[in-house]
Amino acid sequence: MKRIRNILVAALLILAMIFAFASCGTDGTGDGDGDGDTVEPEVDEQGNTVVRVMVHVDAKSAEGIAYQKRIDAFNRAYADEKIRATIIYKARTSGASSYETELNTMRLEGTLPDIITFDAPNCASYAFSELIYDITDLVPTDVQNDFYAISLNTYNGRLYGLPIQESSAGFFYNKKIFAAAGIDVSAYSVENPWTFAQFKDVCARLKSYLGDGKAVDMRLDATKDETATYLLYPFIYAAGGEFTSADGFTAQGYLNSDASKNGFRFLRELVDAKYTSNTINPTDFFTGKVGMYLSSGWTIPDLDNKYPDTFASRDDWGLLPYPKEVSAASATGSWSFGLTDNGKADKTPAVKLLLWLTSAESSKAITDTTGMIPARKSVETNYAVGSPEYTLLKQLELSGRARPATVAYPNFSTAFSQIIYKISIGSVDDFMATIDTQTATLQREMNSKK
Amino acid sequence: MIQPTYLLAAKSSNGSAQMIRSTLIIALVFVAAFLVLFAVDLWRKRGKRDGYRLRSSVTAYLMLLPAVVLAFIFIMLPILYSLGYAFTNFNLMRPEKTMNDFVGLANFQRAFEEIRDRGTLYHAIINTLKFVVGVVPLQIGLALGLAIFVNRPKPGVKIFKVCFFAPVVISLSVTSYLWLSILSPSETGLLNSLIGIFGAEPHDWLRDPKTAMLWIVILSAWQGCGYQMLIFLSGLTNIRSDLYEAASLDGAGAWQKFLHITCPGLRSTFVFVLVTVFIGACRVMIQPMLMTGYQEHTVTLSYFMYYTGYRDYSVGYSSAVALLMTIIIGIITFVQRRVLKEK
Amino acid sequence: MEQTAKHMGATLPPLLHTKPPKRVIVGNIVYYVCGILLSILFLFPLVYMLATSTKSESVFAADAGTLRMFLPDFAHLGTMFENYKTVLTEYDIWKYALNSLVYAGIVIVLNIIVNGLAGYVMAKMNFPGKRLFSFLIIFLIVVPVETSIIPLYLIVKTMLGLKGSLSILGVIFPATISVFNIFLFMQFFEGIPKEFEEAARMDGANTMDIFFRIILPLSKPIVATVAVFCFIGVWNDYVWPAMILPVTEPGEWPLLPIQAALTTIQSIEMITTGEVMASLVVTSIPIFIIYVVAQKYIVQGFGSAGLKM
Repeated sequence: MKRIRNILVAALLILAMIFAFASCGTDGTGDGDGDGDTVEPEVDEQGNTVVRVMVHVDAKSAEGIAYQKRIDAFNRAYADEKIRATIIYKARTSGASSYETELNTMRLEGTLPDIITFDAPNCASYAFSELIYDITDLVPTDVQNDFYAISLNTYNGRLYGLPIQESSAGFFYNKKIFAAAGIDVSAYSVENPWTFAQFKDVCARLKSYLGDGKAVDMRLDATKDETATYLLYPFIYAAGGEFTSADGFTAQGYLNSDASKNGFRFLRELVDAKYTSNTINPTDFFTGKVGMYLSSGWTIPDLDNKYPDTFASRDDWGLLPYPKEVSAASATGSWSFGLTDNGKADKTPAVKLLLWLTSAESSKAITDTTGMIPARKSVETNYAVGSPEYTLLKQLELSGRARPATVAYPNFSTAFSQIIYKISIGSVDDFMATIDTQTATLQREMNSKK
Repeated sequence: MIQPTYLLAAKSSNGSAQMIRSTLIIALVFVAAFLVLFAVDLWRKRGKRDGYRLRSSVTAYLMLLPAVVLAFIFIMLPILYSLGYAFTNFNLMRPEKTMNDFVGLANFQRAFEEIRDRGTLYHAIINTLKFVVGVVPLQIGLALGLAIFVNRPKPGVKIFKVCFFAPVVISLSVTSYLWLSILSPSETGLLNSLIGIFGAEPHDWLRDPKTAMLWIVILSAWQGCGYQMLIFLSGLTNIRSDLYEAASLDGAGAWQKFLHITCPGLRSTFVFVLVTVFIGACRVMIQPMLMTGYQEHTVTLSYFMYYTGYRDYSVGYSSAVALLMTIIIGIITFVQRRVLKEK
Repeated sequence: MEQTAKHMGATLPPLLHTKPPKRVIVGNIVYYVCGILLSILFLFPLVYMLATSTKSESVFAADAGTLRMFLPDFAHLGTMFENYKTVLTEYDIWKYALNSLVYAGIVIVLNIIVNGLAGYVMAKMNFPGKRLFSFLIIFLIVVPVETSIIPLYLIVKTMLGLKGSLSILGVIFPATISVFNIFLFMQFFEGIPKEFEEAARMDGANTMDIFFRIILPLSKPIVATVAVFCFIGVWNDYVWPAMILPVTEPGEWPLLPIQAALTTIQSIEMITTGEVMASLVVTSIPIFIIYVVAQKYIVQGFGSAGLKM
């Protein structure tokens, strides 16, 4: 009896609390949001206006050092105008805290820096949630027109970010291995890309020379972060597929359309035919165990400097474009600088720093260390025809296609990674069913955002 | 370190005023419930000899106060908020706009749809079940075996105890990274190079759906069983030794003594270990998070809730799943304790 | 403890002061062989970790597949601790370790006082409304904490508004309150005879005096148990601090504790296996020392608390 009474009391208590919560939850709608808030600019002891930047790389990385140099140069140039820039590094990690979650925490705290970097596909999601600030009217039109691909940084026709650099990816290949295996790829170029069938043919011959699973490193294992999504999404476009509707609110019938499935099927066939495998070590291409390596421009500095035993000079390796089937498509998109919506009314100092960091000069300084493509057309690029940099730049102009612009991009990336994961683990499960379930999951998330 | 201007230069967060208001209301309800029980207790003991003394009661409340305040803010409130959020479309990316967006049971419907469609949530449930079913018997069995093994007055058992407990001391994240390197898919990984001696091909243990969860179970049991070994050990030292002597005189074998003396003697320890290991196993998250990332074959319920809520920002949906999970775990724990309770 | 030995003797004729019978020797050999095999099972990954931490990447690759995997790199004695040097200086791991020690120290003291007081009240005192608290203790032990980690994050970040270096309080306070520890204290204190308190009360001591001067000193095993598990908890906690502690500008002292720093180090590109292992070893050493020191008390603590759920 006593026990039953205790349980009853407890149940009543909990119920009362639920009602308390529910009732006070609904009455708070009149608060309005904080758009009207204006926050005074931050000023340090010397009377300088402080502008804060947060970047997604480690302070000790080459890119991080390049940013620091540009910030130092800015502080020298703007010492007279009393503007001082500081930089915070928050490297992207795969564990419990990431760059993206840090941004959100800062917003909840109200400690957002003035300028952040963001992965361009996240633009729609961030703009939708008012994390980043509309800069359409703050950036001069001639500057806007100087970028190769600014569209990924727009949402509803408004501009939210300026690209730091542009990127393109392709298949790095070991020329010694190709020569030894008697494979000639000189006919394939950006202007005249190879087809899925030709790609498989090369893989088959590499496999017979190098052994099972060693023909090409497709990076199917890089699903812990955005890498696999970035490198592999062009195959779906190349097969004629799509990811979402134009407004970014429908995935059903796009991500799981027959054409999209053909793209995924192609990737799966590479696994089934043992052209690629999960047990490839990330360094196997660099030590001469694997014939081709799908990667972005950031690999070029490594190939030039870090593996003299395998790649003594640029004669030892080459770069092939993405294969095409229904249409040509290649990976684009990189990180952008954007202003945050942190309530400061006076955006002038932040805009000055933004324009400085994305200037032609900065663009050149940063891309020189990262091996990526400058984002601005006005940057002098004197790449020799046929050089890997030339291939990447040309491919970007001819076939670069952006990842889908959707407010549910983080969820899209999760769904895509899950599908790639299913593909990578070989002939175990029906990955077509996974495409359907992941599309359904993504669609539910999109519906909740409509 | 942080300049005051930096703290002020912030866009005020409008969720906070509302959170404080609802917190106050919850606190009032809590106090009201307390007052009711307080009055009932006083009424029942009125005029009796063992009645309450004012001074000692006030002291008791003061001594309880820090614990009550901390428990209210950091344990009760999160649970209650999570309960409330389960019925909203709360999105972490747009807190002010979605905090009050009540959607009724839509989140629960979404959860059931995702389970029906064999989506990630379905896999999370299956994987958590696999983990619980694997790790609970393995870890408890290992712990009990080891406890009996070291419960002997022989020289050197102390060293064995330290060895068996060593993995508990190195943390779960260190264990995860250590085993990540041991199970590395490349030829140089420990396991692959060991099987390489026998001529086997290297295998990607953590991406193969057949072996991934198995290895997570093994390394979790390996890491955790030393802790439960100590608990069993303390239970074993509490069993009176004359019981064993009497059994020996009656000619009982080692197995019979285990069944008829050790097992009943360890009953309450066993219930405690079972309940805590079970709850701990249901919460598994760090191992898959650090070792495989968010993948269908290893994602667990806790990881799913964390990921949808914190990385994909859907707090409402995540809270609904959390609520379902809490209810299920609560029921199972209750049943466990009921069934195993000493008669 | 002695029952096993006595039993072994009882099945044999009592041959005191003579050579031990053959069966006992065989039994002993079997016992120690089993023990050593089991120890290897529990230690080989740790030995592997220690051995690998001394190796450069090329030596590591060369040793793979041979028994040298489990041996340190004696061939290059001069550079054996190169990885440790990198980890400690370049990645500043000692700063994070110091952070963890400070957090753990504060949490241990607060935890014992707050939960000890509550446990004492629940075990020894009577007051109206006690039932509510008894019920809440059992209820809150069962509810999984991870299910409410995001609301907790929102409470700390928006309602309490802990930001910047104040976020440390968000690490310390939630770790301070532990319903499970209240429960442990409660069970232990119930076993302490009333006479101790009554004697002290005769001498005019008040309740706080009794708690700090009599009860706590009598409860060393449980205090040690709680302290050790507090330390292990804080030292090993990873997800929560990583969620709420902010990044700091270069040159500032970092706020993150060691396990969270470990993940950052792991995701540095081009980090070698040896460096990874060295950082794992460094993060494990302090906690290992604490355990070896406090080992004796932990078993006692659990034993005397009774642990009836």
